[in-house]
This record gives sequence, structure tokens and C-alpha cells, in this order.
Amino acid sequence: MHAETLPDIAMMHSDTLIQRAQQGDQNAQGKLVQMWYKRIYNYAFKFFLDHDQAMEATQKTFISMCRNLQGLQDIARFKPWLYKISVNYCREELRRKKNAKTTPIDKVWNHEAENSPGWELSGHRLDNPERKLQHSELADILQEALKELNDDQREVVIMKEYEGLKFREIAEVLNISENTVKSRMYYGLDTLKKILARKNINKDTISYEI
Amino acid sequence: MKYKPDEGTLMAYLYGELDGVEKEKVEQYLADSPEALVEFEKFKHVRSILGAVEDKEVIAPPIFMDSRKNRVVWNNPFFRTVVSIAASVLVIMIAGKMLQASIQMSNHEFKISFGETVKEDKPVEPVASITPEQVQQMIASSLQENNAVVQTSLLETQQRLDASIKNNLASNSLKINNLVQGAATASQDQIREYVTSIQAENLKMVKDYFQLTSNDQKQYIEELLVDFSKYLQQQRKDDLMIVQSRLNNLQQNTDIFKQETEQIITSLITNSSKTTIKN
Repeated sequence: MHAETLPDIAMMHSDTLIQRAQQGDQNAQGKLVQMWYKRIYNYAFKFFLDHDQAMEATQKTFISMCRNLQGLQDIARFKPWLYKISVNYCREELRRKKNAKTTPIDKVWNHEAENSPGWELSGHRLDNPERKLQHSELADILQEALKELNDDQREVVIMKEYEGLKFREIAEVLNISENTVKSRMYYGLDTLKKILARKNINKDTISYEI
Repeated sequence: MKYKPDEGTLMAYLYGELDGVEKEKVEQYLADSPEALVEFEKFKHVRSILGAVEDKEVIAPPIFMDSRKNRVVWNNPFFRTVVSIAASVLVIMIAGKMLQASIQMSNHEFKISFGETVKEDKPVEPVASITPEQVQQMIASSLQENNAVVQTSLLETQQRLDASIKNNLASNSLKINNLVQGAATASQDQIREYVTSIQAENLKMVKDYFQLTSNDQKQYIEELLVDFSKYLQQQRKDDLMIVQSRLNNLQQNTDIFKQETEQIITSLITNSSKTTIKN
């Protein structure tokens, strides 16, 4: 989905880096973290739609990665392996949050700011502030739509649509069959289609707003 | 038989993960069935919308992993507890060794001792040289001696005390007598002196007072008289002036009256003369 940028290419060809990291090279480990941090954070953020939880899960993921990297047999399967760790920590975080049953103060308090254009978002530098605002509003709506999916479908949709994993890899991450993954993807997209129709978002809005 | 791809295959095709025969089959199916194509286009459409969400930029915080693996065993809390207990037991044992501590339990006694144990001598057999009667006697004699000493010292102190009390009493009564006598003689003269001095003072005070007040009164009365006389003079002057003005008034009045009568008389005269002339 996303265009292959320089960091992406670096990610694809990082076998030697992983090897060095496996041998306990802290420098290599640090580079690996830098390389993958954004991807794992974005996965977690789309999963939680919450910066703090996403940061929490991401940090745990990388600490675990550095600790257990030696146990990784096949370097080629580093990507699904890393996502597997991340998915587990995200699930754990979600469970923890559900059990805690607390509502973060800004959810109660700062509802305005919740809905306001995410000025923190720093995607492409759009020249026109108004366009940027509309753009981030659309992104917010889409993310809320994602949040409406159930956890299983959301995991698959994010990994496929935004993280660009192959169905085979997702099946490996989630430890389920490839067909189940595809099925979840199908129903996930189907639900999203309905949600977007309900929210009155269609291709015209997109082309107008982008 | 018409081919219809299942959901999974459709998804694989949507994400370009089909190839070869499968892919061709799905393409053929979509080309043949417009409804299926519309459905498929909808999925593509959702995908294109989803693409609008962009990645968030995030800065990776440093993750410190300082050879944690090697210390896993040491960091284990259970292990730490066990090691600390063992270490403290070791310390106690070494300290005990160095202090040569020994703990014994025998014959209903519990002993903790440090240093070399002293070999206890066998209990000395009591020498049967003194009989109880002798001891009794010794005690009795010493008691007697003691009693005698105490008695004598008691008597001595009593005597001394009596003497000193007597002395004190004698001297004290003498002193008090002197004091009382002195006080009695001194007081009469003093009182007389005091009274006379007070009298003199009073006299002087009264005299002064009278002098002062009489002076004041004299002055005051003088002032009063002067004021009164001034007042009387002023009054007389005023009265005189009033009388003067009255008199002036009266004179004016009489003057006017005189003139008027003169006029009347002249007019009368002229009139009478006229009548007479007419007649």
C-alpha cells in the first residue's frame, strides 16, 4: 500500500543488522529499534487510537525484541516475529485497560480537543492549512471507523492495509490459518464499507478533500 | 458449472496475492458477472479511502538493554532472598567462630559463652572448723559491741544537742529583749517628732494656701471693681447721649411748631385783613 521509501528498503534488507543484533551488538539493536519503531507504533496507535497506550505497547515490544532476539531461528521471519510480539502486547494492554476500568481524564474532560484537528499529526506537509485540517479530520473519522471493528478484524485490517504484511505472514503472526485471516479481512472490509456509508464518506468526499 | 471465488480468494486477489491460474479465473469471473464486479469495486473503493490515513511520526526513545540477560538470575527476587539469608547466616557463623562462642544446654541450664571456657574448679568442701554455736557466739558478741558503741554515740549527741539548745534559747531571749526595749524607747520620741513635723508642715501649707487664695481674691475683686466702674461710666455716657439727642429732638420739634404757628398766625392775619378790606 505505502510507496517504498528509503527506510522501507532499508527494512527489507536488514538481515546483517539483525544478525549483528542477535550476537548482542547494542548498536545494531538500537538501529533496529529506530528502523521499526515507527511501524510498530503506528500499528499500536491504529489499534488503540490512543498515544499513551500505543507508546506503552511499543516500548514493551522493543524491550522484548532485544531480549529475545537470540531465540529467533529464521532471520527472514523477523517481520512477522516482531509483529507477533507487538500484537501480544497490544492485546495485553487492551485487557489491562479493560480490567482497570478507568476513564482517562482527557476523555471526560477535553472532549473538544479530542475532536479538534489533530495538530500533532505530522504527515505530509500540506501547504494549505485548511486542506491539512480537512485531511486530518478525515483521518480521524477513518480511525474511529477502524476502532468500531472488533479486535480480531481490526488486527488483520491494520496489518494488511497499513503494515503491508502478506496474508501468510499475518496467519503466522496470529497463529491461525491463512483462510481465517482472509475471511476476517473480508468481513472487516465489509463492515468498514458499511460504516463509511453510514458516515457518508465516499470517493467524492475523498477526492474533494485530499 | 460456474466458478465463484470464495471470500478468501477474492481478498487475495484484491491485495494482489494471487497469480497464475487462480488470478485468471477471478478476472474471468469478474468480467462475466457485473454484479460481482460492482461488489469488488466497492472493496477497492474502501481500500482507497482507508489509504487516506497516514502514519504518525514518532521518535523512538532510547531503549536500554544493558546486558540484562546475564543478570537475569541475579535479578530474580527469590534468588536474592535466598542469597541474602545465606549470607547473613554465614556472617553470623564467622562472627561466632571468631568470638569462640559456644552454646551449651545441659543439666537444666542454658549457657552462651564467648572465649575459652574456664574449667570450673570442683566446689570446695566446706571446712568444718567453726561450729554453729561459735558462729552464734561471734554474732552475739559483735552485736553487743555494736550496741555499746551506738549507745555511747547516741548519749554524746544527745548531750551536745541539749547544750546547744540551751545556749541558743538563752542568747535568743536576750536578743529579743534588747530589741523590744530599743523599739519601745525609740518609738515615743520618733512619734512625737513625726507629729510635730507634720503639724509644722500642715501649718505652713495652710498659711501658704490662704496667702495665695487671698492674693488671688484681692486681684480678682480689684479687676471686678474696675470693670464695674468702667461699665457704669460707659452707661452714664450713653444715657447722656440719649438725653442730648432727645433734647435736640424736642428743640427741633418746638422749632417746627413755632414756625407752623407763625405761618398760621400770618395766614390768619392776612385773611382777616383781606376780609376787612373787602368789607
